[in-house]
Amino acid sequence: MEKKIDPPALMLRFFRWYCHPKLVYHIEGDLREVHKKRVTKIGKKRADLKFVWDVMLLVRPGIIKSLNASQRINHTAMLKSNVRIAFRSLWKNKTSTLINLVGLTVGITSCLLITLFIKQELSYDTFQSKNERIARVVMEYNFEGSTDSKKGTFTSTKVAPVFSRTFPEVEKGIRMTDANVILRLNDQLVMEEGFMYADSSFFDVFDYEMLEGNAATALNNPYKVVLTESMAKKYFGSESPLGKILPNGNDKVVYEVTGVMRDYPQNSQIRFDFLASFSSMGQNQEKTYFNANYTTYLLLRDEQAIFSLQEKLHPFMEKEMEGTGASIHFFLEKFKDIHLHSPYAAFVPNTSMRYLYILSGVALLIIVIVCFTYINLSTAKSIERAKEVGIRKVSGAAKSQLFWQFIGESIVLCGLSVLVSFGVASLLLPSFNLLTNQSLHIQELLTASFLLPVVGATLLVSLLAGAYPAFVLSGLQPSTVLKGVFKNTKSARLVQQSLIVFQFSIAVFLIISTLVIQRQLHFIRNKNLGYDRSHVLKIPIGWGTTQDKLNTIKNELKVNPQVIAVARGNSSPVNIQSGYSMRTPDMPTGEVISVNANPIDEDYLKVNGLQLITGTNFTAQDMKDIDTEVWEDKKYHYILNESAARRLGWTPEEAIGQTMQLNGPGTVSGVIKDFHFQSMRNAIQPLVLFTESQGSSVLVKVSGERMQATIAFLQTKWKELIPNRPFEYRFLDDDYNRLYQSEIQLGKMMNLFAAIAILLACLGLFGLSSYMVQQRMKEISIRKVLGASLLNLFRVLSGNFLRLILIAFVIASPLSYWLMKQWLSDFVYRIDVSAWILLAAGVLTLSIAIFTVGVHGVKAALDNPVKSLKSE
Amino acid sequence: MKKYHLGEFEEIVILTIAILHKEAYGVSIKEEIESRLERDVSMGALHAALVRLEDKEYINSFDGETTEDRAGRPRRYFQITALGKSAMEYSRTTREGLWKSIPKVSLDLKMVG
Repeated sequence: MEKKIDPPALMLRFFRWYCHPKLVYHIEGDLREVHKKRVTKIGKKRADLKFVWDVMLLVRPGIIKSLNASQRINHTAMLKSNVRIAFRSLWKNKTSTLINLVGLTVGITSCLLITLFIKQELSYDTFQSKNERIARVVMEYNFEGSTDSKKGTFTSTKVAPVFSRTFPEVEKGIRMTDANVILRLNDQLVMEEGFMYADSSFFDVFDYEMLEGNAATALNNPYKVVLTESMAKKYFGSESPLGKILPNGNDKVVYEVTGVMRDYPQNSQIRFDFLASFSSMGQNQEKTYFNANYTTYLLLRDEQAIFSLQEKLHPFMEKEMEGTGASIHFFLEKFKDIHLHSPYAAFVPNTSMRYLYILSGVALLIIVIVCFTYINLSTAKSIERAKEVGIRKVSGAAKSQLFWQFIGESIVLCGLSVLVSFGVASLLLPSFNLLTNQSLHIQELLTASFLLPVVGATLLVSLLAGAYPAFVLSGLQPSTVLKGVFKNTKSARLVQQSLIVFQFSIAVFLIISTLVIQRQLHFIRNKNLGYDRSHVLKIPIGWGTTQDKLNTIKNELKVNPQVIAVARGNSSPVNIQSGYSMRTPDMPTGEVISVNANPIDEDYLKVNGLQLITGTNFTAQDMKDIDTEVWEDKKYHYILNESAARRLGWTPEEAIGQTMQLNGPGTVSGVIKDFHFQSMRNAIQPLVLFTESQGSSVLVKVSGERMQATIAFLQTKWKELIPNRPFEYRFLDDDYNRLYQSEIQLGKMMNLFAAIAILLACLGLFGLSSYMVQQRMKEISIRKVLGASLLNLFRVLSGNFLRLILIAFVIASPLSYWLMKQWLSDFVYRIDVSAWILLAAGVLTLSIAIFTVGVHGVKAALDNPVKSLKSE
Repeated sequence: MKKYHLGEFEEIVILTIAILHKEAYGVSIKEEIESRLERDVSMGALHAALVRLEDKEYINSFDGETTEDRAGRPRRYFQITALGKSAMEYSRTTREGLWKSIPKVSLDLKMVG
């Protein structure tokens, strides 16, 4: 009966918890009295509700108790004392302090660098004030009857004007393309790669900062160019370049400087040094959507317009392309999503969002490892500090005071490491930039928007790492501790062991991932691609350089015995991505097959080591057949790869002598073995090599001996023969590596951070095992006195750790196996995650761990047992 | 002149304590105010006011008897101190002074309005 009338117990407890002790008695009395009266008046349920309400309303200053008892203590003195104690105890335990400090510093430095990198990537294009309203046009085309279509950011000059006229959503259209230009600087020819052609609407769409000249008119006529500040300085020094002529190397086209603008930001998908009027190219046409060589951006009315416009595009294009035998579709991409989310690169390479996720994951894992090391070492140390806690408690320290004292220690340690980390990070930044191909600045680290989260994260890490040890230590019972029978509790040991398992799981996982990535990269680099890319130089040359001229060049270069062969072609075999269409006479009219094709000459196969299966290479006569100004007289010759022959329905033998059409009519001379002319992510596709008297690169195969002399020879000859073009060469090997830049970058980063992770995990294990050994010193001595051998002792000491690492391995290996399979599935040509990789990772981890633990174990086992036994 | 400060609700509470005279404890004050002013008084508001008044030394308190309803918790009785009394008087005289200074017209108009 009595019980029923009692107010809700939970609320009562809550009230007692927060209420000031001076008031708690009589207010509770009042509450109970009122409650009881209400029960008789309005019933238990409603009385209870009112009671809850009353208790809630009592939570107000004056009635709740002050935060804790220590409030009455002199704060500054206590804080000072706590900090002093923190420093003293850190100083006293030098080994563990050093381990923690090194661990935290390495971990935090890694995180700082990774954060900096991610921050830079995320900041791409955010400075553009209209970035929500800009869309990039992606074109997809295929020919009727053909199943494969091509998709990319190429568009013809027609798109921008037609779209802005037809669709009210489009405010401005802008066409851009980047090119190279040869300029003259101090009588030297210089190839400038950042030469961008753009419509004058550039200034309406993108942000810029004009230093000299008028943006409204700067690009309004052909042959006008706006320079960036640094280019203006490079070519004109301190003079104003306005109205001057850009010193052109080819003397054909001259550009007048109409403006100078501030250098374009690094974190932009559009990057250039020169901005020339689009009309200078003389390519403006509105006849066809083909001839798609330019990038089109659209400025839309508002953010939503991209959706309504996209809906209109397909029906519009169906109508436009009716009866042309081809279909074209346009897709719109949001400008600000391009850098991280688009599969199509802008004027600078994109970064995949997934890559950023991987990196932040790695950063997080590293911090977790570091925190766990700290937790483990602190709990292991608790035995030493137990007495201190006991004495403090006896002298009247409250649990919460002790808690904060220990947290304070971890804050001091973390703060110290963060300071050191900033120093280390700024020292390492140049090498990190080299590694990641970035230009990050240390100033970025010192902005408020970066520092504030860092301070927050520091406190968070201190709390995460410090909370558990602080909780354990502050909870010790003084009576048991001071009696001297204190030992690590079972639960503390369990926590320690799980943390070790966790740390080593991370380490094993990172090792396996790194091994797989390295193996795949190795596979890509060393796979027989079907051509030989070693010691081949690629030198750009004018597309229209005549055949005669080229023959002279070839003969002159071949004078040097180191030069094995010289060829001309458009693309090198490393990456051929030129879309053509081909057809055979027996295909229905209008039907074509899209195919990759590359114009070459008779020496191309030799230079690149491509292997003919059947048929013949192009002859000098074949090349003459094509070298005519009259289009109708051109007779083409083709060499197909196996896939192309198969695509046309021929065996290699059948293909020889067949007639087909690509650019014009011609005959098939030979069939070569399939080779990888694109990234390993793609399967090998049909490819046609055809004779052509034009092409933009010269490929030179050299012997590889006396490289420097050979290159010097090439350079002098080049200057003699082609004075109007600079001698700039690239090795095919480097071009090839560039194809896998993001993988190589990932590989390098993973190498680095996996090494750091395993180092940190071992650091933790090292510290922990040293404490364990210290604690078991007496046991070891007694065992030794009783005749245990070194091996026996070693087994006793390390057995436990090894078991933990085996568990870690069992946890981590299936997970990493699965994840790496996912990564590999991006590649058509890939390695398998074989058992030996997992095994290697396991053995590696285990041996590192044995070594780490062993150092202490052996030291303890070799010690004189008398030393530890005589003292008590 | 000494400064007294009595908030509106504080004044009501201290007046009620005076009315109840020696019988003033939490529940009785609450019920007295509720019945006289016909408004709900929350426990929180009342005790906060009591704490404030006691901090200002206008009232003091002592533990009294307990009843079964209170599960052994004693009643806490409040009484007004000398300082409290002068605070009340100060508050009253200033208020009356203010009332007296109102010109007749002003109030009459109000009534009419």
